[in-house]
Order: sequence, then structure tokens, then C-alpha cells
Amino acid sequence: MSFQYVSSMRLPLRRPRAATASPTAEALPGTHHWGKVLGGAAAAAVLGWLAVKAAGNGKQFVTVTLNGLTLAALYFVVASGFTLIFGLMRVVNMAHGSLYLLGGYLAFEMQESWFQKDSGGLNLSLSAGGSSGTEYDLLGWLVPLVLASLFIGLLGVAIQQLFLRWNQGQDLRQALITIAIGVILADQMLAHFGGIAKDIKTPASWPETVTLPGDITYGFFRLVIVTGSALLIGLLLWLMIKRTRFGLIVRAGVDDRQMVSAIGINIPLVFAGAFFIGAMLAGFGGVLGGTMIALEPGEDTSFLLASLIVVIIGGMGSLGGAAIGALALGLVDAYADVYLIFGDTDLTNYSILVTFALLVAVLAVRPLGLFGRPA
Amino acid sequence: MTAVARGRLGLPSLIALAVVALVLVLAPLIFSDYFVSVILTKALWLGIAAASLIFLSSYGGMVSLAQVGLYGIAGFTMGNLVAADGGVAAAWTPWAAVAGGVVVATLVGLLFGAIASRSEGIYFLMITLAFGVMVYYFWGQVTQLSGFGGVNNVDLPALVGDPGKDPAPLFYVSLAAGVLVLVGVRYLARTPFGLALQGIRDEPARMRALGYNVTLHRALAFGVGALIAAVAGILSVWYNRRISPGSISLQQTIDVLVIAVIGGLYRLEGAWIGALTFALIDNYSREWTPEIGNVLGPERFNTLIGVIFLVIVLISPGGLVGIWEQGRQRFRGALGGGRTRAGPAAPEAPPVQEPLEPGPVQQ
Amino acid sequence: MKFRSHRRPWLAVVLAALLAFTLAAAGCGDDDDDGGGGDQTSAGGGGGGGTIKVGILSDCEGAFGAFYEPDIAGAQVPLINRGAKAKNPKKPSDGVEGAKIAGKNIDIVGYGCADDTADKAIEETRRLMEQEDADILVGPLSGDEGIAVANYAKEHPDKTFVNGTSGAQDTTLKVKAPNFFRYNTDGAQWSAGLGDYAYNELGWRTAAIVGDDYSFPYTSLAGFVAEFCAIGGDVTKRVWPPLNEKDYSSFISQIPEDVDGLYVGVGGSGLISFIKQYEQQRGKIDTKKMMGNVFWNDPLVLKEVGNRLMGGVTSGPTAGDSTEPSAKQYVGEIKKSYPEIAPLASSVFVYNYYNAMEGLAQALESVDGNISGGQKELQNALKDVQLDAAYGQIELDDNRQAIADNYVQKVVPDKTGDKVPDVQTISKIPSVDQTFGGFFSADTPAPDRENPTCEKKTPPSWVGKAEPVSFGS
Repeated sequence: MSFQYVSSMRLPLRRPRAATASPTAEALPGTHHWGKVLGGAAAAAVLGWLAVKAAGNGKQFVTVTLNGLTLAALYFVVASGFTLIFGLMRVVNMAHGSLYLLGGYLAFEMQESWFQKDSGGLNLSLSAGGSSGTEYDLLGWLVPLVLASLFIGLLGVAIQQLFLRWNQGQDLRQALITIAIGVILADQMLAHFGGIAKDIKTPASWPETVTLPGDITYGFFRLVIVTGSALLIGLLLWLMIKRTRFGLIVRAGVDDRQMVSAIGINIPLVFAGAFFIGAMLAGFGGVLGGTMIALEPGEDTSFLLASLIVVIIGGMGSLGGAAIGALALGLVDAYADVYLIFGDTDLTNYSILVTFALLVAVLAVRPLGLFGRPA
Repeated sequence: MTAVARGRLGLPSLIALAVVALVLVLAPLIFSDYFVSVILTKALWLGIAAASLIFLSSYGGMVSLAQVGLYGIAGFTMGNLVAADGGVAAAWTPWAAVAGGVVVATLVGLLFGAIASRSEGIYFLMITLAFGVMVYYFWGQVTQLSGFGGVNNVDLPALVGDPGKDPAPLFYVSLAAGVLVLVGVRYLARTPFGLALQGIRDEPARMRALGYNVTLHRALAFGVGALIAAVAGILSVWYNRRISPGSISLQQTIDVLVIAVIGGLYRLEGAWIGALTFALIDNYSREWTPEIGNVLGPERFNTLIGVIFLVIVLISPGGLVGIWEQGRQRFRGALGGGRTRAGPAAPEAPPVQEPLEPGPVQQ
Repeated sequence: MKFRSHRRPWLAVVLAALLAFTLAAAGCGDDDDDGGGGDQTSAGGGGGGGTIKVGILSDCEGAFGAFYEPDIAGAQVPLINRGAKAKNPKKPSDGVEGAKIAGKNIDIVGYGCADDTADKAIEETRRLMEQEDADILVGPLSGDEGIAVANYAKEHPDKTFVNGTSGAQDTTLKVKAPNFFRYNTDGAQWSAGLGDYAYNELGWRTAAIVGDDYSFPYTSLAGFVAEFCAIGGDVTKRVWPPLNEKDYSSFISQIPEDVDGLYVGVGGSGLISFIKQYEQQRGKIDTKKMMGNVFWNDPLVLKEVGNRLMGGVTSGPTAGDSTEPSAKQYVGEIKKSYPEIAPLASSVFVYNYYNAMEGLAQALESVDGNISGGQKELQNALKDVQLDAAYGQIELDDNRQAIADNYVQKVVPDKTGDKVPDVQTISKIPSVDQTFGGFFSADTPAPDRENPTCEKKTPPSWVGKAEPVSFGS
């Protein structure tokens, strides 16, 4: 399972016109070399240590690995939209996390108000939502998923058209604008959905868990739906980028924006399209995340940060980089949460710092991320 | 180059400057204790924090979101080194602890700078954001140092006294620190280092070709930014008498960014104008914010500040200072030259947007 | 660049600053006018003066932002019972009019809107106490805020502070501000009775605990550890997922499978996510092997996850199913004043803010509304107030901390028709005190990741003395 996931995600990495030399290597000759040696040594140490742990408790190791992979899948869905927008337009959409959370909340709202069989419930104006006992059929999950994703896509286009279109190229100003939008959206969501966590219910027809060989039970939704969605999205994006005219333009835009506009391609339309897809992926991720984890204030910044870390590690604008970055983040997070125990010293409380150590380590060696290329 | 321009001041400017100076010096006599403390003192230290950000953006072309993290390092280090509830409580004398906090924050700033200075523009923004969040998590998780409920009742130096009883000493200390930062940065800007830094901001490739070590200059500048942020961090702890991980959360990072943008990202003085505006809105908006359903109201401070932030970024990247200058110039134009007004400002061409894009995109 | 070179930046800056200062001065002048030297009024002429100013501090942002209106509602019902009128029964924060206690007008000068951090709580406290000139503060809401406000109280002995619903242990056990009063029990007290139940009813001998990594869960779980270990149980693993971590899956992997039970102190907002992911890894929840802290009996939380917790045992200072006259009267009062808050009446948020204002009102009545002389008379009266509260008697100990009953409860299917699972009270733990019979004191380390350590000791006095309760049967 894990192997398939990795290999399919790696495909888009093969760029036909790979950059011949990284600017880093030019600027700092030598960095590359000792970086590789150190990185290799560190990776070997980590793998050896994981092998020891795996041998100690194999069942736990599989579960933890699955935790990491499924979380990585969710990160990939969200970060792929972020990196797509950046790759084409050099827009760092700091409202991406807000779009994620809003997508989840919208789907939650639709599920509650349209598909709840038994209305009534605790009718509090203070908090939207009904009781925890209601069951939903398949449509009760799919329809909100599709509608919420589409709506967030359109909202993304609206943001782009209203606020970003006319200052294309001023990337810092655009980042500030989206930060402002994120602040406003976060506060409005708190006002309308309250501070208590909400979750989107899975269809009643889906099993809660699946049993894997070795008597390991794992969540069906996480393992099948989230991972499957990530694979599917990765594949579709790859096909779109490789096989469609739109993708051609996007690829060309990543490589040389000036030239693309110079040859008279309808750039505004392509930009709007890319923003639609990028934002839609955030909304889609929000529905997945709202079902897999939960929706609450603060998740917007969590997923914005996760997206940032993923694309900084992987390299901004690279789909393959997003996949690798998501895997790195998800797995490091999962393993560090459990395995940072050395004898009697329990360091799991500091696991979150390991994520950032990873980030700093990558940046120290490759300032543009593993697959990043200069603007 | 503007930032170093020192045009001769006209008489009206001198008078205005004198009035502001007089008002500031006499503030504890003019205003209530509450106002001196919660508005003015807070605006002064928030302004220093924003100034560290503006220093980096206006002279170095780097917009950093790590400044709150850096001031948190200074604040927490000092909090741990003096007598306090929570943390290590090493009980150093307050001034030694101040030195310790400033030194540690500056060293960490140099380290961050060494890593981040190889990135530019928007990459730099994101990497420093990651640094800021990392610092937050560090203090959140290493509770031996941050105390489970933060470091409380921090011991203050005698010079500051008890701000709860008499806010004037802390106000004057903050004022002096602010003036020192302002003068210091202006001095630094005219040193060879400052001039090289501004050259790197405008033409990194050319400066590199001239033999300047671009990344080293950037890293050192980041260290200077950390030093300024550290001053803000020390003052913030004296002001609050406590520091907890919540004091340096992402929310605070965004607040300081908002302050810098409101003031104007390319003019050092803007930091304090932004901070004062922010403190005033923060404090008084609860009374005058109209209530519009669930959308706007006294509880929706973040929506209000978000909208103000958005409007300022949209109409004037130069912040309030920029708006003022734009307005004044139109006014001058209309009076003096008899030129027709430029018409309604086309959104894509506000004259002062340039500073937001300090360096040309690297080739 | 050219375009800027001829200008004089100083002038612009100076003028803008002036403008800002003028604005500022105007704002300041205003507040001097309506403040009218409030300090003098409250200090000198309080006895004869007509108005007592009260500020109410809660959270409108952050994790507890949703409880802003319920908190304010709870705090204002005692005033409404005394003749005030809610300006808007649908929105408690619109205020009340005509509030009077002991012939004095009660003026609610403002609502503090904090965000769960100590810094913001203090800022809002200062705004209410120093700018709005409140004489008395009711609040705050959460643990770290409470510690900070109690410290602030120490520096302002002439004002009086009545805690809202914050439940950190240190607030009263260590800070001990003489003018800070807490009529609610703390987080550890809210767990009283569960260690006994786990050991003696469920037969647990070993247990693991899991909670969010900050002070409230530390305190809440400390209550369980103190009691369970004192009787002879052993806590073998403590898992603390960091704040903001919402994917609990890997932390669930850390929980050992070879313990008799798990005590869950994951907060209100993380609980849904935790339970979901627990079920995905370990299958349906066996409520004989899992118990929860006070969050499990909150109506808002039960609404989201109650069905998954059916049969689970929890505890807290309220008994939502109580049929005692005092409880019925209390719920009736809330319903009459703020109908929409009524389903939350048994939430600790509403109940504790209600008791805070009720305690204050009774003390004010006993001193005839006299807040002169640095409020010393009022503060003495507050110490002696004994509340006949909805869910039992409340009195204060020497640290001005509540001693009250606690209830062990079970999550059961809905009986009231609101489609939200209910809690059924199993037993009452009488007169729970903050020290757990000496387990906690000003000298013991504050509850944290490792403390209190698991030690067999003399159990708290209530162990084995839980009074079986059966409401409505």
C-alpha cells in the first residue's frame, strides 16, 4: 500500500526539462556534498532506529506507519492546491487554510440541514448542528463534498478576481492581502460555527474499520477514502498537467511566465482556472479533514502551516515535491509522536519540534526545497 | 533611499515635531494612568517590535514573520533568568537577565538569518513564519522553561518600579528605548554596512558581482533585527509582568505584521503610528463598533482589524504614512502647479507601491 | 524612488502622529468624563453613593469563545431575579436594565472579551477595572486566565474579584489573593469520586491517562490520579498530545493495551476527534474500560459525541438530571430569563457564573451595598457566604475556595426529548475540598505532566462514602 502510494506520487517528478543546475549549488559550492553525506547518515540512523522499534512491536509499527501515510495523504490534497496556485501565479495564498476550514464547515452545514432524517434536536442558536446519533446515506456525504468543493473553488476565483488579479507580480502584497482575508474569514467562521468542534459524519453504509492481515484494524475512512482520494487527485493532476493544453500552459508558466504571456495565451482565464482548482482542492481537503479529524477554529492555521511546510520541504510549485513533502511531514509527525523514547527518556512531548527540525535541515541544504527551482 | 533622506525640515515640521516631543515627555501628566500604560506604553513596545520588522523590510528587502518569535526568546530567557513564578527562576539581577535575554535572542536571530538569508521575497516570508511558529512550539512544549502556565510575576528592575502603581517609569523607559531604536537604525543606515544592505535590497545580483557577500549581509541584518525585537520582548515582559506561549502565538505574529503594514512597511516611524492606531482600535473599538447581526460587533475585533488591514494593503501599501503622503501630494499638485488631478486612483498604480517589491525578481 | 527623493518624511510622520494623538486625547477625555473620578466614588462615598459598577469577564475568542453568551447569561440571572430586566432575552450581552442590590444600582460597565490567554485576560481586566472603573469583577473563564487575574487582584486590594468558572488549582491554593473569591470547585475537585469508582466499582488496578498538554487537563487528571493512587491503583502511562494537535491517532498508538482502564481528559473540542480515532484503532469504546473528565457531562459536548460514549462514567459539579427543588428552581430561572440558554443550565459554564454573581449579590445584601473603605466589609462578607446552590451547598475554605458536592454520572440515552444524550447521576460525593484531604497543598508541585506522582496514601475522606443517588425514579 505504502509503496504504491509513493511510487505513483513520484511520477510527476520527472520533469522533461529538468533544471541543469540548482542555483544553490552555484551560490554555495560544496554545500551539496556534505549535505548529502550528513543527510544520508541521518537517514540511515533514523531507519535503523525505526527498524529496532518495528521489531519490538510490529503491530504498533504498522498502525503508526498508516497514521503517518493517511495524514500525509490529507496533507497532499490540501498542499497540492496551494502549490498549484503558487507554481503558476507566484501567489502564496495565505487564506488557503481558511478555505480548507470553510469547505469543511459548509459540507457540515449541508449535511446537517439537508440530509438529517430526523429534524428537531437541541435547537440552540448558539451552535449550529444536530445530535450525534443521526445516520446518513451515501448521498448525505457525497453531495456536501461536491457542492462544498465547488463553492470553495468559486470563492477562490472570486478572491483572485477581486483582490489579486490587478496586482499580479507583487507577490508580497498578494500574500498580505490573503493574510487579511484569512483573518476575516477565521473570525467570521468563529462567529457562525462556534468554538466547539464539529465533525462530518461518514455514510452509515461504510464500515468503521477494516481488518488488515496480521489482525490489524484500521479506520476505513482514513485508509480507503482519504488515501484513495489523494491517489486519485495526484493522478488527475498529473494527467491534467501532462496531457492537457491547460496543463501545458501551467507547466510553461512555471518555467517562464513572461514568455507564456508574450505568446498571447489567455493568461487571465488560465489563472482563474488554476485558482479555481487550487481553492477547490482546499475545500475538498476540508471535507476529508472534517470527516477524518474534526472542524474547529485553529484548524485553518494548522493546515495553512502544514501546507507551507510541505511545499517548503518539497519545493514551491512542484506537484511531486508536494507529495514528497507531505509524506515526509506525515511520517515524521507520526513516528516522532510515538518513538521519541530512548530508554527512560520520553521525548514524545517534543515531537512537534522534530517537524521543524526537518524543515530547517532541508532548508539548510536546499533553500528552495527538494524540488524547488528559482522564480 | 528615502529612508536615509534627511531633508531639511521646514518650520511647520519643526513645530509639529516639538509638539509631539512635548506631548510625549509630558504624557504621564496629561493622560490618565490607564491611558499612559495600556495605550502609550503598549504602543511603544509594539512599535519597537514592528520597527524590527520594518527595519528588515525597508533596508534589507526582507519581510520577516519571525520577529514575534525572536522577541519571545528574549522575553522568556529574561523571565527564566530573574526571580519569577514558573520557569527556572534563576534569580539573576534584572539587568543581567536583560543582557542575557538580548544576547540569546540576537544569537538565535543570527542563526535563523544564516539559514533564511539565502532565500528571497516570498520564500523568506514563509521560512521566517515557520521559524516564528517553531519558537512558539518550543516554549509551548518545553514546559521546564515556560512554566505550565507561563512565567508569572517577573522581577522588575528598580528603574521600572511597579507599573501597576505608577506607569510613568516604564513609559519613559519604553520611550527612551523607542528613540534609541529610531536613532540607532538611522545611524546604522549611513554606515558602510547599512549602505551595502540597501544596495543588496535593490540590486542583489549587482552587489554580488561587486564582491559583496550578500547572504552574510542579510544574515547580519537579521541579527540586528533580532536585537531590536529583543528590546521589544524585554519591554513586553515588563509591561505584562508575565510571558506565556500564548503571548507569542501566531495571532501575535499577525498583529505585529498588521501594525507594520498599517504604519507602512518602508518607513521606520510608521511602526509607532501603526502601533498607536492598533492600540487605540483594540481598546476603544468595543465601544463604538456597530453591531451588524453576527457579522460585526464588539466581539468581532478580528474582523474589524482584518478589514482595516485589507483596505490599507489594497489602497496604500505605504500604510497610513503612504496615504498621508499621497493625499498631501495631490493637495500640493492641485494648489501649486494647477495640474489637473490624476483622476481617481487607478488601483494598479498607487505611486508608493514600489517599496513592497524592494528587490527585482532574481534573474 | 525618484519620486520620493525630494520629500520630507519627517513632516508627514509628525503630522500623522499628531493626528493620532489628538484622536487619542479625545478618547481619553471622554473616559475621564463618564468615569467621573470613579475611584473617589467607590473609595470614599460608596456607602452613600448610588451605583456599584460590575464588570463581567469571559472569552469570546479562542477555544471557549462559544461560551461567551451562556456565561453572561448565567451571571445576569441573579440580577434578573432581583428585579432587573434583560434588554434582549436572545442576546445576554446586550445587558440588563434596572439592576439593584440592597438599594444600590448595579451598573454592568462592560463585558470582557478574552481569548483563553493570560495576556488578553489581563488586558481586558485592566480595561474593565481601570478604564471603565468597575468596583467588582466577575470572571474569568479558563485556568491560566484565573491565575493571572488572581495575581492582578493581589495588586489591587481595594477591588473585589469573584471567579467566573476558571478551574486551575494554583489560583486559590497558591496565589491566595485575599480579595479573590471562587464559588466553584477546581478542575481536580471535579474529578472527585472517579478514582474510587474506577478502583472499587470497575475493579481497575492499573490505568493510563490521556489529556491535552496544558494546565486544565493536568489539574483535572490530577484529581483522578490523587484518588486512584491513594487507594492503591497504579497509573502506568500518561500521554499528553500537544496543544493544537488534532490528529490524535499516533498518541492513541502510545496508549498501552495492557491496562485495566483509560481516563480521558481530552478537552471539549478535541474529544470528537479523539473518540473517532480511538474507535478506528481500537474498535467500539468499552465504557467499562474508559472514563472521562468533566467535559463528558457538558450538554454541548454530549450533543456532538454523546452517542459514542453511551454508558461512560464521568463526574462534575452539576447534576443535569436532578429533581431537587433547588435544581428545578434554578433551571426555571434560566428558562424564564434566557430561554435559549436553558438547555445549557447544567453546564459548568452557566452554573458557575450564576453562583459567582449570586454569591456576590448575597454578600452585597449582607453589607447593605456598602463598598466603602476599600471594600473590606464586602470582602469579609464574601468569605462567609454559604450558597444554597442548585446542586448542593457551597461554602468557602480559608483560601476562599469553594467546598462543594461532586457528582459521579453516567451517559445515558436521551429521555428529555431534545435528542441529546443525558447524564444520569449515580452518586454524590459530599463536601469535596481542594486539598483532597491533604494530598494537595501550597507546597506540593502544581499538577503537570508528571505530577502528582502516583503514591498510596490515606485516601480522601469521601472514598467509600459516595452517597448513591437516583433522581426521578
